[in-house]
Amino acid sequence: MGDLLNTLPLAAVEGEGHPVTIWGLLIYLTAVFAVIAWFVAGARKGLSKRTFTTKQANWAEQLYLFIENMCVSAIGAHGRKYVPMITTFWLIIFVGNLFSLFAPYAPTADLGFNLGMALVSIGYVQWEGIKSNGLVGHLSHFAGPKLGLAFIPLSLLLFCIELVSEIMKNISLSLRIYANIHGGHEAVTNMNHVGEGAFVPIGAFLLPLKVLTCLIQAMIFCLLTCVYIGLVTSHHGDDHGHDHGDLAHA
Amino acid sequence: MNGNYVGSFGIGYGLAVLGIALGLGLIGYSALQGMARQPEAIGKLQTVMLIALAFVELTFFLTLFLAPNMINVVPK
Repeated sequence: MGDLLNTLPLAAVEGEGHPVTIWGLLIYLTAVFAVIAWFVAGARKGLSKRTFTTKQANWAEQLYLFIENMCVSAIGAHGRKYVPMITTFWLIIFVGNLFSLFAPYAPTADLGFNLGMALVSIGYVQWEGIKSNGLVGHLSHFAGPKLGLAFIPLSLLLFCIELVSEIMKNISLSLRIYANIHGGHEAVTNMNHVGEGAFVPIGAFLLPLKVLTCLIQAMIFCLLTCVYIGLVTSHHGDDHGHDHGDLAHA
Repeated sequence: MNGNYVGSFGIGYGLAVLGIALGLGLIGYSALQGMARQPEAIGKLQTVMLIALAFVELTFFLTLFLAPNMINVVPK
């Protein structure tokens, strides 16, 4: 049985230092996409003119309203065009997190996968900033407020600090999800070791907290992406109204 | 990493958790106070409280996962 676990790279065999390979991660990702495809197919089938007929359609409407509310409040009125991307992120992270409750491994419990998602998210923020402000405008966004000529060393220092902060955003975004999901798994494993003598899985009492963590981490990732997009795409021309989202001032 | 560091990890993590627990308690306290004053704002306060919770938890996880990599001083 242990040999089967070694050949099918589905889980890291405990105590042997054999990590999950990329093929194992791809198997889990296929399962995640299968669940998302089932959800979306059920939602499409349940669309109708009066009321939704399937459960998935109702939940999809709730998801859409939640993401749209988050995007519009964080980015402004033009935030609606980012809703598909944020919904994709949310679905992948949420379903990937849910897998950690049932399987010994999950896509979002992999630091590499989370780093990939964070790089895509921050890269998309940079792309949107360059598209809306131009390359020079986007780079001068890092230099802080425009002071006089005598403050150029201060502006250079601010530029370096902002650059490092931007790189830290990748690390914080990826490490947050990895630590919550993988750390939750490790915590449950260790608590189970405590109750091993009496055959009581004490780690099972952490499961409700883990479900809450799954939801919250997906929401936090999407909210932070929205806030970063709102920070770089705030249009200075029509700033008299409420176009700058009210969450972006945080 | 030799045996001299075994105790310091425990104290280090303990201090980190102390700060985090105090921070989380303060977040919960202010959220509950706000909710008690304005019960109609409970939804918004809940959202903001969870956001602040994630940021405070992140510092703990940074300590947990980045601290072992920072050890590069080996006494002779």
